[in-house]
Amino acid sequence: MAKQLIDTYVAELPPTVQKAVHQSTAATTEKRYQLLGDDYADSDGLRKLAGAIRQHTLEYLDTYLAQAEESLTARGAKVHYAVTAEDACQAVTGILQAAGITKVVKSKSMVTEEIHLNDYLANQGIESIESDLGEYIVQIDGDHPSHIVRPIIHKTRGDIARSFEREGLGDYNDDPETITRRARKFMRGKYLEAGAGITGANFVTADTGRLVLVTNEGNSRFCLAPAKVHIALVGIEKVVPSDADLSLLLNLLGRSATGQQLTVYTEFINGPRRADRPSGPEQMHVIFVDNRRTEVLASDCKEILRCIRCGACLNVCPVYRQASGHAYRSVYPGPVGAVLSPLLAGDKFKELADLPKASSLCGACNEVCPVDIPIPDLLLRLRNRAHQEHVPSPGTPPMAGFALLGSHPLIWRSAMTFGAAKDYLPLDRLPVPYLGAWLKTRTLPKWRGGKFRSWMKSRHGRNGGGGK
Amino acid sequence: MTARETIFAAIKSALAPLPEREPRPAVAHGVADAQWLADETDNVALFVQRATAVGTMCFRSSSDCLAWLFEQQPARVFIPDELRDVTAKFEGIVEVVRSYSRDQVDEIDTAFTPAAGAIAESGTIILTDESTPDRLAALAPWTHIAVVRKDTIHRSVADALAAMPDDPNIIWVTGPSKTADVEGILIQGVHGPGVQGCLLI
Ligand code: SF4
Repeated sequence: MAKQLIDTYVAELPPTVQKAVHQSTAATTEKRYQLLGDDYADSDGLRKLAGAIRQHTLEYLDTYLAQAEESLTARGAKVHYAVTAEDACQAVTGILQAAGITKVVKSKSMVTEEIHLNDYLANQGIESIESDLGEYIVQIDGDHPSHIVRPIIHKTRGDIARSFEREGLGDYNDDPETITRRARKFMRGKYLEAGAGITGANFVTADTGRLVLVTNEGNSRFCLAPAKVHIALVGIEKVVPSDADLSLLLNLLGRSATGQQLTVYTEFINGPRRADRPSGPEQMHVIFVDNRRTEVLASDCKEILRCIRCGACLNVCPVYRQASGHAYRSVYPGPVGAVLSPLLAGDKFKELADLPKASSLCGACNEVCPVDIPIPDLLLRLRNRAHQEHVPSPGTPPMAGFALLGSHPLIWRSAMTFGAAKDYLPLDRLPVPYLGAWLKTRTLPKWRGGKFRSWMKSRHGRNGGGGK
Repeated sequence: MTARETIFAAIKSALAPLPEREPRPAVAHGVADAQWLADETDNVALFVQRATAVGTMCFRSSSDCLAWLFEQQPARVFIPDELRDVTAKFEGIVEVVRSYSRDQVDEIDTAFTPAAGAIAESGTIILTDESTPDRLAALAPWTHIAVVRKDTIHRSVADALAAMPDDPNIIWVTGPSKTADVEGILIQGVHGPGVQGCLLI
């Protein structure tokens, strides 16, 4: 039987990975819930307010983006714009070549994943090393992150120990502490020899031009201490109006992402180092990247651009927990990815149009989202778009029969009367593939249908027709 | 058309059809303060409590700090000139260097730097380029002790944001560097300090 593509990934996922993903996502969800409950009487109200701030910013994006540019320029940063992924990669290369830099260190950034910056730089002969521990492991394995906050949620310590051994970072040792120390030592050398540090940004404030970077490891800070050049790649939607708005957004980001009040390092940068200071980059470049964000802004799914990449919707999603990140076949997995990835795919929309269907629409993603994105609504809008664009939809049973039943009262009534017959039919042996697959793991309850109408009628009589 | 023009034109045309736009919501100062903050009266005590909770060691006096430091047997301790008075007792007991240089990144395993402030609500230390000019000094050594003046402790995250200094680089440090990337197991000291401390003066 035709399956949804995501099902094939679930089927192939090793049980150890599935267990690891489930445990870790469940634990983070629990921590988040605890902390928000301890700290706020009305965390729901805060989510809604944060959502309104982000939505407001998006709907005045031209104003705020221009303001951010002005604030940054006034403080000595150079602002660039890139329409496509290719443009963004070229801009980075141009800056590096002009400064004669061939080695860079990178801190974790989703937009650089999105534009495949590392591959591009490698082709230009520029060494680019990921400094976040998880991202580094993904990089040496030629793998892809499977979670936006915990990139190697799908790997075991044994996998990592083997990769480190292969890369010459020491003999096989799967002790997490040893792994971390080895990465520390290796990365030290890379930081000190790198000519440039490349980062993303979690937020950019329009009023003061501050780029906000949050990490737990301290790697972004390290990328920006010894290097001469700082290049930040920032999606155009990352702007917020003012520093004051950050009090809400930062408080919600840490709690939602990892169950921390604040992430360990929260760094605010709005300019190159001042002349009298001994460390910090002499040049700061900010590249605002569109890469189809303006298309998303023009679509009926613009709310997804509020996203602050906390990963809470992944952690709570029953589908993500079963499928892990690679099943989403794109940079952004989970509920946010099911919306964002097809939208960012442009004319490849059809290839990812199945993702919005990989959801039971349970609504948990919306409930945890710190910026209150109505993800289930957006998924429905994308399903509709796929339907409009005649994207074939394997794994969806034909519903024409049900449509007929459901829209003709007479047929429906007789079906209900004869429904009990189902208890005596060998349903699993009927030549209906979807039914067979469905029944493999489930049993139908005994038929109790067909009685509602008569119950309703008798009740109607009792209440004298008025009802309540 | 330049990239900038293309992007701004696309934004404008995306927003043009909107019948109305989301107004800017009022964000009251302190709207996201933790609810228990109102019951706290002593900023310093709260800071110590919160900082300890996130794994930052707090010292109330330089003698306490020295006693602890002595036990750690540091190889070389960086203490900049401006902290000479605070750490006068350290001289001769641990090996002190007065300048931080990159060639010594591996030898200097402990560093003291002045903080620009702190946040009680979250147990956060605030460093700026102004307070800690050498970013590496606060980051590369295994042990970093920030020296925080009690009268610079902000009550809340919101207060700290409202009083952001004009500095191109401000960093909030809430605990030691850490990761849970490997099987969700918490390990401290990934790239930054494995031991984060704070000396209150
Ligand atoms: S959609 Fe919401 S919950 Fe999901 S990552 Fe983005 S901000 Fe977090």
